Amino acid sequence: MHGEYKTPGGKLVIVDFDVIAGRLRNVEISGDFFLYPEEEFPVLSSALEGVDADLDDESFAERIRMDMHPDATLLGTSPEGIATAVRRGLEAGKEEEK
Amino acid sequence: MTDRSPTLMDDPERRAEWARRFRSVNWTLLPDPPLKPPYQVAMDETLTLSTATGERGPNIRFWNWAAPCVVLGRFQSVRNEVHEDVAAEQGVELVRRISGGGAMLIEPEGAITYSIVAPESLVAGMSFAESYEFFDSWIIESLRELGVDAWYVPLNDITSSGGKIGGAAQARRHGAVLHHTTMAYSMTPGRLTQILRIGKEKLSDKGITSAEKRVGPLRNQTDLDRDVIIQHMIGHFRDEYGLAEGAFLKEELEDLRERVEKKFATREWVYFLP
Repeated sequence: MHGEYKTPGGKLVIVDFDVIAGRLRNVEISGDFFLYPEEEFPVLSSALEGVDADLDDESFAERIRMDMHPDATLLGTSPEGIATAVRRGLEAGKEEEK
Repeated sequence: MTDRSPTLMDDPERRAEWARRFRSVNWTLLPDPPLKPPYQVAMDETLTLSTATGERGPNIRFWNWAAPCVVLGRFQSVRNEVHEDVAAEQGVELVRRISGGGAMLIEPEGAITYSIVAPESLVAGMSFAESYEFFDSWIIESLRELGVDAWYVPLNDITSSGGKIGGAAQARRHGAVLHHTTMAYSMTPGRLTQILRIGKEKLSDKGITSAEKRVGPLRNQTDLDRDVIIQHMIGHFRDEYGLAEGAFLKEELEDLRERVEKKFATREWVYFLP
């Protein structure tokens, strides 16, 4: 599945993933946002790996916030922005199933 | 895109404080030989590290390209950003830089790119957002001197009454900050959208539907040659903040070759996100 979200006035975030047995798997986050320090990048996708696909957006965002180092800075997107991209991917996936 | 809101650099007091910061250090202008794309992106990392260790002081360099390429941002995936088959057909190489931000299509004479590397102490106390505008403020001023009606759009864009000119990206390593900016000088019509995937979502807050319409290359806004513009920019920086000419260190060139071979030319790095 594939979802995109551009924060107005900010940057684009893209989430590619599978849903296997009701959970997010093979989560890959990409986009033209900035992240300091860059070493924090793998945390964004690992925070969502294995998460229940039925959770709401706020819960997806919370997972990312919890796992990110408190001093790490996302510029141009946010945990909420990433959650919106996941939601859009899930909705597009459901449309395809119909 | 022509919406023009005042930004930090429009505040004279802040501008004066920024100028004091720029003048507080000794700047070196580095050479600009045409380099193959993996060498250009590797050079940024080499210089960021040699600046971090204090082997060299704050520096600025303009880029010249030996070949066309797509420069991907640190966190972009190849398949989401590039029509790889078309790029390959046209001999356009893919490289990945160390900073975030968006993909750029580079035609050797079509872009003006510069890198600034400085100790982070130069931007101490600034937010990331302020530091982006700080490092591009002198370029906006030198564009205005050339008659281009340019201004800054936070977070990282340079635009003008003739369309978007360019964008910046930063990386930070071990106490040094790298800031690089690419501006469009001229573009082969149609090529951008042939090679880069620019979806509707990306343009969703721009009020337009075509990425190409969004760009306003400098060649459309001035008759000056690319080299003349670059020389003017260098002259502006030298007059305002001081700038001595320098050379790459032998150790840096060794480091560069090793970095290209072990990292920047490898599939593992370029396809870090496939």
